[in-house]
Formats: sequence, C-alpha cells, structure tokens
Amino acid sequence: MSISVLDALQPAKKPALIVLVLVFGLFVGAWVHGKYFSDRSPIQPIDFSHRIHVTDNEIPCQHCHIYAERTPVAGVPSVSKCMGCHNSVPSVRESPEILKLATYWENREPIPWIKVYDLPDYVHFTHKRHIKAGLACQECHGPVETMDRITRVATMKMPWCVDCHTEREVEHGRDCWTCHK
Amino acid sequence: MSKISRRDLLQYIGAGGIGVAGGVLYGEGVQRKVELLIPQVIPPEDYSPGVATWYNTVCNQCSAGCGISVRIREGKAKKIEGNPVHPVSRGRLCARGQAGLNVLYNPDRIRTPLQRADRGSENTAEISWDDALTTIGSRIGRLKIEGNAGRIRLLTGRTRGHLDELFAQFMNLLGSEHYQQYDFTYPSALAAANKTSFGTDVLPYYDIENADFLLSFGADYLGTWLSPVHYSRAYGNLRQGRQGQRGKTVQVEPRMSLSGAAADEWIAARPGTEGLLALGIAHVLVSSGSYTGNDRDEWSSALQAYSPSMVSAETEVSEDTIVRIAEEFGASTASLAIAGGATAAGTNAVASIVAVNALNHLAGNLGKPGGVILNSAQTFPAAAGSSPAGLQGALDLVAAMQAGDVEVLLVHDTNPVFSLPDNVGFRQAMENVPLIIALSSFHDETTVMADFILPTNTYLESWGDDVPDPGVGFPVTSLSQPVVAPLYDTLPVGDIILSLARQIGGELPIHMPWASMEEFIKDRWREEFDERMSEGQDQNFEAFWQAVLEAGVWGQPGAAAGGQPESSSSPTIAAIADPVSKFAGDETDYPFVLHPYLTATFLDGRGANLPWLQELPDPMTSVVYGSWAELNPVTADELGIEEGDVLEIESPAGSIRVPAFIFPAIRPGVVAVPIGQGHTSYGRYASDRGVNPIHIVATLMDKQSGDLAWAATRVKITNTGERLRIVKTDGVTRTLGRQILGPGNDHG
Ligand code: SF4
Repeated sequence: MSISVLDALQPAKKPALIVLVLVFGLFVGAWVHGKYFSDRSPIQPIDFSHRIHVTDNEIPCQHCHIYAERTPVAGVPSVSKCMGCHNSVPSVRESPEILKLATYWENREPIPWIKVYDLPDYVHFTHKRHIKAGLACQECHGPVETMDRITRVATMKMPWCVDCHTEREVEHGRDCWTCHK
Repeated sequence: MSKISRRDLLQYIGAGGIGVAGGVLYGEGVQRKVELLIPQVIPPEDYSPGVATWYNTVCNQCSAGCGISVRIREGKAKKIEGNPVHPVSRGRLCARGQAGLNVLYNPDRIRTPLQRADRGSENTAEISWDDALTTIGSRIGRLKIEGNAGRIRLLTGRTRGHLDELFAQFMNLLGSEHYQQYDFTYPSALAAANKTSFGTDVLPYYDIENADFLLSFGADYLGTWLSPVHYSRAYGNLRQGRQGQRGKTVQVEPRMSLSGAAADEWIAARPGTEGLLALGIAHVLVSSGSYTGNDRDEWSSALQAYSPSMVSAETEVSEDTIVRIAEEFGASTASLAIAGGATAAGTNAVASIVAVNALNHLAGNLGKPGGVILNSAQTFPAAAGSSPAGLQGALDLVAAMQAGDVEVLLVHDTNPVFSLPDNVGFRQAMENVPLIIALSSFHDETTVMADFILPTNTYLESWGDDVPDPGVGFPVTSLSQPVVAPLYDTLPVGDIILSLARQIGGELPIHMPWASMEEFIKDRWREEFDERMSEGQDQNFEAFWQAVLEAGVWGQPGAAAGGQPESSSSPTIAAIADPVSKFAGDETDYPFVLHPYLTATFLDGRGANLPWLQELPDPMTSVVYGSWAELNPVTADELGIEEGDVLEIESPAGSIRVPAFIFPAIRPGVVAVPIGQGHTSYGRYASDRGVNPIHIVATLMDKQSGDLAWAATRVKITNTGERLRIVKTDGVTRTLGRQILGPGNDHG
C-alpha cells in the first residue's frame, strides 16, 4: 500500500489553480495599468509636443521654462507666452490643438496641465542648483526633445536622488538636511 | 489530462478577470493623485514662482495708519507684517492688521455690482458696471442740472489723504456741501479739547516712549486708543528700553483694560468723575508749589474748589492716593497725562480732557521729550483734512433724511446703522431717501438698505496715501499701492468716483480728468514735489516717487513739527468748569452704569467678519465668541448672579440679553459689555453672535464737541433665569491656596 500525497492533495488542486490564475491576473492587471493608464504619461488637456517645439523648431528649454535657472521650480510658460509666439505662426493657427490654446487665452483661463514630475512637499528640491551645477535637463527628464507626450523616465524616489549624488560626489549630497529641511 | 469542464473554465475565467481588475485597481491605488500644473495666464511683473516679494503699503484696519509689508508669492498675498521703516508701526503689527488677509480672501466679499429691489432684504440682482454707473450717473446728473445738488449726500468712514480730497472735490463740483464722515472710534472730543488747550485740533504726539510717569485716564493705549501698535512699542521702551530706569504707569478707568492690567496702579474712580480727579491732582500740583508758572495765582483760584478731600468724596479715590499721584507726577522729569476711553465719552468729555491736558501744562510737559509734542497741520502733499463729525453730524443727517431733504445718499466704509444708538433712528430715516448707493467691499447693516451696491477693492488692492493722525512728531506721509491684482470684478473707490464724474459730465470731468486714483495721486504728488521740494534736490520726481513707493512712506525725521504748544491758561480754565458727567436714567430705576468698551479685535464692530479675529480670546477675560457682561463679584453676589446667567440689561433706550461673566477687575456697580458683536447682516462669521451694546446707549452727547457720550448710560439688570455656557480658554482664575504668586501673596 502506498500513500500518495498527490492523492491527498487532489481535492485542493482546483482551488489552488483558481488562486494561481487570480494572482497571475493581478500581475497582468498591474502591468497593463502601468503600461497604458499610468501617471507616467498622462493625457494632457492640449496635445502639446515637445518634439515639434524642441527638435523641429529648435527652441531651447529655458526659453519657455524661464524660471529653472533662478528659482526652485522650472515653471510652465504662461498662456500669454504661448500666444506670444503662436500669434505669429499662421501655419498652424487653425489646427485643433492650437484652437484649444486660443480658447483658453480668449477666456483668460490657465491651461490645467497635469503634473508628470512631482516631489512630495518635504523634499526641498531646487532646479536652480542643479542647473548651476551644469546638469542638462535630459539627465533627469530623459530625451524630452523626442517625446510627443511627456513620459516620466525616473522614479523620482530617494534612492535615485542619492545614487546620483553619490556618483557625482556632491558636497553634502548625502546629508539629510540637504533636501529635508 | 482530464478535460476541463465548462463550469470549471468559467470559474478560471472569473478568477482571472477579478485578478486583472484587482491589478488595475492596485495600480490606480498606488499612483499619486493627479496634480495640476497651473500656469499664469499673464504673469505679474517681477514674478518668480517660489520666490516671495514684499510690497509696502498701509494698513486700513483702523485709523492709526500703520505701515505694513505684504509677502506676495505667485501673485497672491500670503502674510502681512509691520513695515520696519514706517515710523508709526516700526515693524510691528496688531492682530487686526494681521487679519487683513481675511479681508482680502473673505468669502463674503461682494464680487460684482448689485441692485436691490427690496430694501432690507438680502436678495440682490447682479448688474453690469456700465448699467450701474449710467443709472446712478444720470440720477445725480439730473439733480445737478435741476439745481438740487444739495440733496445729494456723501457719508464715509474716517478718510484721509487724497481719497478725502477726491470726495471733497467731487461733492464741491456737484454743488453739494454735504460730504461728511462718521466713525465711532474717531476722538472728536479729544480734538476739540486739544483745540481749547493747545489752539490746534491736529492730534499731538504723546511721547509715551520717553516718559517716566504715564497717567492715563481711560485711554487703552495698548489696545484701541489712537495708535495702539505705536504706543505698545513705546510702552515697551518706557518700561525696559532705558538702562536702570523703569517708567511707571497709572491707569484710571472703571473696568480694567489691557493697559490697566499692564499698569503699576489701577484706579477705578466713580464713573464720570475722572475729570474731577484730574482737577484734584492739579490742585495739589499748584498748592504744593510744584507749579511755578507766572499765572500761578489764576490757576490756584480756579482750582480752589477741588481740594483733595472734596475730590476724594466725589470720586471715591482716597485723599492719600490723590496727593501721592500728584506728587509723583510733579516730581517726575518726564510725566505725561493722556485721556481716552470712558473719560472721553461722558457728557463733559471735553471738560475732562482739558482738565487732563492741564496736568501736562502744570507739570511742564508740553513740547518736551516724554511729553506732549504738537504735530504740524502742514502735510506733504497737502490734503483736504476732513474729520468725522460725531453724533451731532449723524443727528443732522438723520434730521435731513427725515425731512425729505436727501434724494441721493452715497455711503462708503462706515456702518452707522450698527455703530449708532438705536434711538438715533438712522435706519428708519434711510427709508425716506429715494436712492441709496453703497460703495463697499462687504454687506453690512447699512448697505442692506442700499438700492445699488458698487463693490470696492479692498485696501490691499488699492492705491492711496495717508497722513497718520496722530502723527509721530515729525512730518510723515504714507503711500499705499495694490499688492495684488483685484480678485473680483471690483473697482477702487476712487476710480468709481472718477467714473461717476465722467458719467455726470459738465465741468466735473474737466476738473477731475484723471483716469484712475493712481493717476490722481501721482499727479498731485508731482505738483507738490515740483512746488515744495524740487529745489536743492538732485532727485527728479520719478526717482522720488519710486523711492517712496518702495519704502511705503515719506518722512522728515528731525524736522520741526508743530512748534511749541502754547497752552494759554484762560481758555483752559474756562473749560474745566464742568468736571462731572451726567447720565441718562436715574439712579433708583437704573442702578448700574453701562460701560461698553472697544475691543482690540473688533473695534466698533468692523472686525467681526474676520474669522481670525473671531477666534481670538479677549485678553482680559479669555472669553471667545459671542458677547458677555462683566460684573464685579460683589455686585454679582448681591444680585445672586453666576457666570453664564443670561441677564437682561435695560437702559432708558432699550435692552439686550447677554450672559454674565464675573470679573474682579471692574468697579462694583458697573457692567461692562464689549462692542463688536451682534451683527445681523455682516457675513457668515459675524452672524448669530452676541449683542451690540451701542444700540442701548442713550443719545447723550458732549456739548462742546458733539461727540456721542457712550459711557453715560445707566442700566438695570434682571436675571432671566436662562443660562448660557460662556466659551473661554481660562479654567479657574483663582489660585485656590496653591500659593502660585508666592507666600503671603495668595489672594484667592
Ligand atoms: S493699529 Fe493695527 S489695525 Fe490699526 S493701522 Fe495699525 S496694524 Fe492696522
């Protein structure tokens, strides 16, 4: 007489399979969400393309993000700034996305852009210092000039910051108080 | 391999589906909340995100005229502080000044022009600025053409600088003489008394900072009197600013104010006799030989009757105290006597204040550091210099309205329906006026009677200039500028007046050609600069203007101000002959004296719509929210009243119901009720809170100044039997034998 464990497990086989399928489903779901619905690349109120502006029209980053080199935040251009140029670009004046821009301007409403890069309030990050240190925008923001819709390329988590500070031997780069005041 | 049954397959699919959905939900759950990145539509000048800019302007929360600095980030006002270079505030600020942000961001602000069909109701309809200005302009224009401009009246709160000038000019050009101001807190009696004593009604500078001995008759200089921020700082210097020398302060008042609590000695003379007490002290100063002026005989015969024994009997202050204070006052190198509060609110207010002024004369304090220093009436740039007309002015206006002599009433920045006794009948009289227009940022008890409401910018969104009154002993003018762009579809009050002038036409726009208040002020400053200051200056006007704008203030420290006060004795002596106040209501029917008092938070009620001020406990009682009536424990015991008993306080003019608060620092027989609460139409934060004691004040006035004698009403008290819990931050005010104050110092 042989006693088979498998036989004893026979009645548990089906529930186990169901759990397996469920767990597999969980991973699939999380992956699908990350790939297609995540906040890494949200759909913006206007389908703005950095590729067209930066690569095709050779506009430097700080032409629009004017505060990057002198304040903590880089800033998004004001609606008046967008219109300042677009008023003199008749070729695309009638395109649907530019019409959206014009509507915001006529209503004197700001464009509700969705934040892609965001740090918690307890992190005292400043663009100014990073630009002064000679970093290119792309080091953190990725190849923005090739992106139509902006996609976040970094985790923006603390290990990511500290790795870079360590690698570049930033002075006080690993002090808590450098970022958390 | 066994075949999977259809049923099993469905189960697997179900499990898979739930799994995927769960995975997506999980992804959604761990993802950060969507945050928006909102750009400016049109960025303000010198704007950098995340970087604060400070702009200097002027506080408008009371009449002191403190200079303030406002911290602006991303075009929004974030914090108000005192302007360090402004000689009135010198970097300090009071709670009302801090709460200026509550004015700007108040959810009850009026955001568009409104029209009201039904007076007294809260229902209004929005209209456009064009419609409002055209309708009002044509009504006023028609009256002017018909030669009936005298039927147009403009009533404002305390207004100084070029806004005052603009109002005056507008009414003049219309052909109406009826531009007047009403402000409950304006010290008309003090101005009138100083005119008698010093020959000028420009308020002098009381140099508390350098005094050694400060004798205050009712003036709560740390809380509400004239310029509390300035005097609080001065008080600090009096106490601790000089090495090895601690100034002494004595406070005479029936209910202990913050200044009374900070004083070395608090004297609760019988209400209404404070002037007499001053004369008693004067008597000792003269009879003891401390006063050596050559008109000494004149004084000694005038003061003959006010011997310490007689004064002591009337005031219920001991003879010893009177003599001791007189000796100290006379012996101090820099002694100073000031008057305000209830002392300046009796039927003999001017006589009492003149008596206090006489002390300064007799002790030789005039024009000296630590004494009374005159301010000059000459200001830069010169302005109209109107001042509020007290109760008499209000009564005249009410009579005119009742007689049907007022066709159009414009009201700005004053709330007479709230801050006048009910008996005056202001609201009822307003019913007789065919057209009432309110220029205001908020609804209140007065604007609720207006047919049109033209919403004004708050002071943080407006241009203006101001000559602080009282000044600081040398010429000073402040400049205010908008620190943020207007939040709503509102206009600066000056711009509304200028638009109306254009609407009305005729010679008005010719004489008032400015497009805005900013242009008007700058124009007038330029004119005066060219006339009075350009010589010997290497500065041009634009540079001067820019510098003043940045500093928020222009001044000439060290420049002689008002010269030596000339206190000629004869008018003073003639004016002191009425040293005791009369009261409304006789003593048998109305055994208690009502002492309404201004609070450092709400003043005359204007601060009650600001939530930060509502939640600030009273500094003396620690009570917060609502109203209360303070009674001495002795009085309360006699009447069997406990804290929280709802009392009916009845004067000959009306009654209020308010919970009792037992307060040891008040004279027995006096009942004190704070002013400020009891609003009915002043927005969400002020509504349903407490009562307004001004409403039951009898309409007695000081004859010489026409000022309301708000401290001259007697009341009776009935315990209604109802109870209300008083909200306070204090637990028990007694030490209960714990010897907290040290051995032998345990009074309770
Ligand atoms: S005393 Fe207070 S409320 Fe009055 S002007 Fe100064 S800061 Fe403003």
